[in-house]
Amino acid sequence: MRLTFALMLLGGGLAQTSVAPALRIGGVAPDIPLILTVLLGLRRGPEVGCLSGFAVGLLQDVAAGGFVGAQALTKALVGFAAGLASERLWVSSPMVQVPGLVFLTFAEGLTRYWLLQLFHFPASFGDVMVHVVLPQALYNGFLGAAAVLALTAVETWRESSPWR
Amino acid sequence: MKYRRYVLLVSVLLVSLFLLSLGTRGGGAGRPADLLAVLITPLEATLAKVQRSALGVWTTYRDWKNVRRENQALRAEVERLRIQSLQVEDTHRENLRLRRLLALRDRLPLSALAGEVIAKEWGGWVRSVTVNRGRRDGIARLTPAIVPEGLLGRVVEVRARAAVIQLLNDPASAVAVMVQRTRTAGVAEGEPGGAVRLKFMARDGGGVQVGDLVVTSGLGGVFPKGLPVGRVAAVEDKGSALFHYALLVPVADFARVEEVLLLTGQTGADLFSHFLTPPET
Repeated sequence: MRLTFALMLLGGGLAQTSVAPALRIGGVAPDIPLILTVLLGLRRGPEVGCLSGFAVGLLQDVAAGGFVGAQALTKALVGFAAGLASERLWVSSPMVQVPGLVFLTFAEGLTRYWLLQLFHFPASFGDVMVHVVLPQALYNGFLGAAAVLALTAVETWRESSPWR
Repeated sequence: MKYRRYVLLVSVLLVSLFLLSLGTRGGGAGRPADLLAVLITPLEATLAKVQRSALGVWTTYRDWKNVRRENQALRAEVERLRIQSLQVEDTHRENLRLRRLLALRDRLPLSALAGEVIAKEWGGWVRSVTVNRGRRDGIARLTPAIVPEGLLGRVVEVRARAAVIQLLNDPASAVAVMVQRTRTAGVAEGEPGGAVRLKFMARDGGGVQVGDLVVTSGLGGVFPKGLPVGRVAAVEDKGSALFHYALLVPVADFARVEEVLLLTGQTGADLFSHFLTPPET
């Protein structure tokens, strides 16, 4: 189980530099590790969400060559928040999970921007929001919806399977 | 226990901030990041290879589909062009035929009307073609019908907008002719087998030879004089018979005739010289 979990995180973290570019639409690529973090946080709680976010964020930081620790921090926060939300709110429905994913992507973008501002990140807030954060939030919502549907289908199949 | 998660969160945040601060001191993220990079670089390379292979398979499949679609489109295009080429070829041939027919009409010293063959009767009992000219066009019974090569036959039935032409090889057809070289007179008659036979040549009429051209003699008043009818293919010696017989190969290709000239005017002149112009190709 832990191996599967580790592989999932590793795959999710590295997917951003290998798979995500192929899924680009109009220059916008989805944040696959973030989707993974949010879904894990929603399903497994804040601790798992936080650690998952930290791990995939760190992988992304190292793989992408940016500020190492920035995405680790923001994704850890997002994973934690998603886990907390799953405990206090009714989030089992895809109708909540998908908008939640959009919101958390947006929140992660804002946090990352704020964090990078501490290190004199040069881009303007408006540009980052219009060209990066908002399109990516929508794309993540779209891809997250597909992922949620796929996960639901797999879980339904496993529950009805005679070999489980 | 309840605070454990918050301790975890704060720890993770502190580690992240520590890493960030390492990176901003000018020395990069230091050894931890290098170590992580050493671990993930081969994985990234493997993933990139897998992705490239998957993309390659996908691209090959897409190319194959495109080639297949293109192939189908090209086949359709080839088919269309082939049909178009045949149509062009057909039009070209028709154009040549009509040019020859019109050139002949212009050369002839009598009025003539061009007609298009709209039906053919090719049985052993009757051999005829029907053209789209009739009573309304001034066509009368027994009007001679010619093609650029020579005589085709005569009109035997006239309708309002059509006329039936009895071909030279119709069993009921008989045309007064003569051998153009020797001026030996005879009658060209059709036969049930489709041949045309030259009959009733005077036995001592003078050396009819294979290859001799036979033309209309103008006797009988139906056909003008000098219209090419056919060439002698064989001379039949009937021993002590009074007349010579010969088998003719008609100059007109009855099976392929598509346009004709109907000679509506009259002339007493010998028309043979008007058929000497070599056919256009």
